[in-house]
Amino acid sequence: MTPVNFTDFDAEEFFGFNDDTSMFMMLVWILPVVIFVLYGQRIQLYITSTEIKKSIKKLDAYRDESKTELVQYLREHYGQKIDHDTRVDRLLDYFTIHPVDIDPHGIVPKIRHVVRSREEYTRRNIISIIPDLDEDQVNNIQTLLEVATTLQMLYKIVNHLFLTAKKQKNYPLILPLQMMLPFIMEEAVALRKSIPAFRQSQPVGDSIGPMIVGSMMLDLKKHDIAFQTVMSSTVFEDRTLVLLKARGPSSTVGRLADALDSVMQTKKFDAIIMIDAALKMEGEDSATVSHGFGAAIGGIGTERFEIEELATQNHIPIFSTIVKQSVKEALTLMTREIAEKADDIRQQIYDTIRTNTKPGQAIVIMGVGNTVGIPQ
Amino acid sequence: MIFSKKTKTLQYSVEICTKCKNMLKRRYAKGDILFASASKCKCGNIMQIAMIFGEEHQL
Repeated sequence: MTPVNFTDFDAEEFFGFNDDTSMFMMLVWILPVVIFVLYGQRIQLYITSTEIKKSIKKLDAYRDESKTELVQYLREHYGQKIDHDTRVDRLLDYFTIHPVDIDPHGIVPKIRHVVRSREEYTRRNIISIIPDLDEDQVNNIQTLLEVATTLQMLYKIVNHLFLTAKKQKNYPLILPLQMMLPFIMEEAVALRKSIPAFRQSQPVGDSIGPMIVGSMMLDLKKHDIAFQTVMSSTVFEDRTLVLLKARGPSSTVGRLADALDSVMQTKKFDAIIMIDAALKMEGEDSATVSHGFGAAIGGIGTERFEIEELATQNHIPIFSTIVKQSVKEALTLMTREIAEKADDIRQQIYDTIRTNTKPGQAIVIMGVGNTVGIPQ
Repeated sequence: MIFSKKTKTLQYSVEICTKCKNMLKRRYAKGDILFASASKCKCGNIMQIAMIFGEEHQL
């Protein structure tokens, strides 16, 4: 092996200075290196910005569309005279401050209080814009308002993060936004596409739970048990079934935890069965049904907390059945695949009852989700 | 995006006769509500709306 002799290293030859094309060659490969070292982050920021700008433009369009749809819905149904634009604008900008959670003890009732106060406030405002509305109409307007508010919030957050990164000329600041943007856009597209279904009171993918329990409630006597929540009782193979769901067909999720609390005060139960829609993982088929344990209920977590508390205090097992779907499927008009699963799931629920309970026992069945387009 | 095909969601209602299980799929009509009574079946029974769903069709 010949050792490398570094003593006869010729810098001029190495950099090509003694070549005829030396200056040109040097520029060709040294200049880009210098540019990338000095301005690499800015170039990346510029390229990423172009992509993000396109998404912000789309979010802005979705936000405007949702607001226009809401105002149009109000005008079509409830008259032209009222100045809906200004009132709706004011409602869209309302915010909710999350309670302090440095000391998490007692945080759930605080969150529940804040959320319910906001819901109540929105309802009162809708009624003040258009008096003489019935509860179903208020529910539908409230949902459309929620869609518009969420799109407005998504637009504002994305725009804020983008402008901050741009103002500071700080590329790393834009990275988290670039990573999250596809997920944000997926939700925004789903929300935008959900508007026609909510306008026309049609069932959405999330309505599968109420749809199954609603079909079990047909021909049974129903009565209100909690705010916008109904119950029915029936007997199945010597077992008492108490059925709970949000009161349809307007857009509401009811208050199932309050309803469960009410029924538990009058009767001892041996099992709770919950049916809900759940987000599928990438690669999973839509409308696949899974069974498991624990409270299957989404939202901010207060309802789930209460149901778990009640079940734990009374030593009642919770069985869950979920129907997998994407965000878009959950928020838009129910797909054929999901709708066709309803009968099959109902039979599976009866199987769960047969397997896990004995004759003479009592079971609560809860249809979880938005009951838009699903009566009982 | 350049390979994505444009689709349109068409809305359908499915009526079922609880007596003879006859099924009728038709386009969704304004006012259709799940479990509501619908058209008359061949057997004379009143059919019930059992499903309302959307199907994507390529344009």
